[in-house]
Amino acid sequence: MSATVDIARTQRHAASVGVSRVLLGLCLAAACVAPFVLNGYGLYILTLTGVFALVALGLNLLTGYAGQISLCHAAFFGVGAYATAILTQKAGFPYLLSIFVGGLLTAAVGAVVAVPAMRLKSLYLAIATLGFGVVLQKIIFEWRSLTNGGGGLALNPPVIAGYQLDATGLYFLTLALVILGIWGASNISSGRTGRALMIIKESEIAAGALGIQAARYKVIAFAISAFYAAVAGGLFAYLVRYIHPENFSAGLSIAFLSMVVIGGLGTIGGSIVGAAFYVIVPELLRGIKDAPGLVFGLLLVIVMVLMPQGLWGLARRLGRRV
Amino acid sequence: MIANLIVGGLAAGCLYAMVGIAIVIVLNITDIANFAQGEMAMVTTFFAYWLLDSVGLSWWQAVPIAILFGTVQGVIIQQVVIRPLIGSPVLSAIIATLGLNIVLNSVAGLIWGHQTYTFPSPFAFSAPFMLGGVPIPVDSVLNIAVGLSIVIAMTWFLRFTWIGLGLRAASQNPTVARMMGVSISRSSAIAWGLGGLVGGISGILVAPSLFLDTNLMGALLIKAFAGGVLGGLNSLIGVFLGCLSLGIAENLVGAYVSPAFGEAITFIIIIAVLIVRPEGVFGRVRARKV
Amino acid sequence: MARLSIEDVSVDFGGIHALRDVSFELESGAIVGLIGPNGAGKSTLLNCVSGIARPTRGRVRLDDAVLSALPPATVAGCGIGRVFQHPELVIDLSVRENLQIACHRSLRYGLASEFLKLPNVRSAERAAAGRVDEVLERLGLSDSGEVAIRNLPYGHRKLVDLGRALLMDIKFLLLDEPIAGLNDAEVARLRDLLLRLRQDLGLGILVVEHNMPFVSRLCDRLVVLDLGQLIANGAPADVLRDPRVMASYLGEDA
Repeated sequence: MSATVDIARTQRHAASVGVSRVLLGLCLAAACVAPFVLNGYGLYILTLTGVFALVALGLNLLTGYAGQISLCHAAFFGVGAYATAILTQKAGFPYLLSIFVGGLLTAAVGAVVAVPAMRLKSLYLAIATLGFGVVLQKIIFEWRSLTNGGGGLALNPPVIAGYQLDATGLYFLTLALVILGIWGASNISSGRTGRALMIIKESEIAAGALGIQAARYKVIAFAISAFYAAVAGGLFAYLVRYIHPENFSAGLSIAFLSMVVIGGLGTIGGSIVGAAFYVIVPELLRGIKDAPGLVFGLLLVIVMVLMPQGLWGLARRLGRRV
Repeated sequence: MIANLIVGGLAAGCLYAMVGIAIVIVLNITDIANFAQGEMAMVTTFFAYWLLDSVGLSWWQAVPIAILFGTVQGVIIQQVVIRPLIGSPVLSAIIATLGLNIVLNSVAGLIWGHQTYTFPSPFAFSAPFMLGGVPIPVDSVLNIAVGLSIVIAMTWFLRFTWIGLGLRAASQNPTVARMMGVSISRSSAIAWGLGGLVGGISGILVAPSLFLDTNLMGALLIKAFAGGVLGGLNSLIGVFLGCLSLGIAENLVGAYVSPAFGEAITFIIIIAVLIVRPEGVFGRVRARKV
Repeated sequence: MARLSIEDVSVDFGGIHALRDVSFELESGAIVGLIGPNGAGKSTLLNCVSGIARPTRGRVRLDDAVLSALPPATVAGCGIGRVFQHPELVIDLSVRENLQIACHRSLRYGLASEFLKLPNVRSAERAAAGRVDEVLERLGLSDSGEVAIRNLPYGHRKLVDLGRALLMDIKFLLLDEPIAGLNDAEVARLRDLLLRLRQDLGLGILVVEHNMPFVSRLCDRLVVLDLGQLIANGAPADVLRDPRVMASYLGEDA
């Protein structure tokens, strides 16, 4: 009986793919038109959503697919931000190259962090990553010659191929990178790496019996998610034009984790929804200082207890009924 | 000079230890790391403050009531949030308690705002004890004494009372424990109640020196985990000694190396221990059958 | 013709001797049953062969290569397939998707290619899908490809677990209590399947089982362990009449 349901579901799925494609096209069109419709602040919010969506996409690969917790992604975000800023302002690299190199550097740091950490079980991994995050943040703070420490870094507008990027330009760059990020994450999650991560999450012993080295793939997942966070950081730095070590605290790492969980662990749609949620809710609740925190905290608990598929999963279930 | 640093470190370490003990009790009996432990303690402390300030009770009246509140708070949280999660992956429980952390912090902020309050202590104006020429503040002595008492009391409870043995049975082998008549969910509720109790005590003892605001316990939580990791998260003595050592190490490194490193030492210790011996100095390794 | 050699393998856990000087061989095309009372060390021995446990003394060899110091993933890559007592499949994925995971080692594209979904990735994935179809056919599960594991009966889940091992291009198959939880019809199907696998693919099969009728009808040879020591190694008819074997199962007064 249930097997028949599965097969019927697959057939309905094929039909609904057509609908999804139309919706996707509409979203893309809306995204392209947005800068000309929104005011400066609205555009800033949308760009920020894109930045956080990139972080969420990477973190989702680590936590949703591989089932590994990380409480240091704000630090990777920060390292990427500072790396991009320093390479562009002090070393004179072109902006896009700085983002990419910053991403690779941070991925390398992520890999180094991951190698010892990946042997640890969930709770100890959480504590270890918390520790790494704080140490990385401290290093940024103390390395004054490079980062200007507590004084923060003020940044000039970014330049690509001689043209200075204004808010609209940065928005389109972010949109392009988000689209690339979604596509890449989708490819990885449907490819051998994504599948390896899923069996590792289920059982590392079963993974070993299939020739998959769990430790290696956990490090890879960590490094990829660090790369995504760093690229997002490079965009963030030039969105806000002033970065400071305080921006990249453990609290932000927990916020990143909230995004992927509330949006829906293990789904790409969930990453986008989670990021949008994270940016928009404080806007709606502006004025009441602790309200956003309350909403996020409550949702984290509610999602874990009642709705493990998150908001995206809920939306899909409702959509299926329609 | 060094004696002062050590005494100060011991006192600070005891504060971490009390939060750590609460965490370890809950962790060992229910296999869940309560990342909201600090915030639960903070809420209990604010409740105590309300009793002292608005209701007008004396310290000796307010504190036992507040501790009871902390215990009840622990049980309620266990029933509402934790019980549905029994059997879920560890990741879910960690995230749920992180969410709880944020909720409690926000609720406290909404009720009491973000100002800093002074929390009274009946020992604030007592003269310090003198031990071989080194002045030890009375509240430090109190913290050390209370911390040690809690460790001893809990160890005795878990080893020598029926309820305590039931709790340990429930955590090590739930199936057999059930067959022996131990109720798993009741054990879980008792454990969380104890965690809330000990946490409440820690908050009330911490508040006079660190001043009461919503950030009271944030930093302490991380240090409690660090000390726990160092000493071994499955050992009450381990957590206690680990946190004391951490407190001393922080003071010594902060004074002789640099203040910046003093803080970072917490995390460098965590990382080093986790790489070399994840079960901690006093911890036991747990094997898994394939 | 490959040969899996277990040579004087001993395993000590603290003060317990889980295995003591166990030696026997498994060739391609042979089906050997590993039997013995509970606690005899059968699973420990399988763990030594798969690389999950390391022998305190002795070694496991595949032809000339020593396997015992290698990590489990590498051992699997050498052609040793392991099917565990309880199938650990990804519950929310379909049968087909679970089998695709097992194609991992045969898909040789790099991370960058995977990220950009280059043509070599697409063709590799298509080839893997074809192999998955073949295995589904061999297992008799072609109609169940899209079924989610959570909706699959236990007997079929065990088959999918076996299918995962088959996708790995193995020479030897280790099965840990494969018929536990199966009804008679499923047991007969599994027996036929294993015999056909031996015939078509020339696999060497080592089966840990408690069920005597099953092992005596399936296996060419039986190896008997008791308290970590090998007490018999021969044809089923001979082994099952061996007084030492009977004593180990029934107690000393038998």
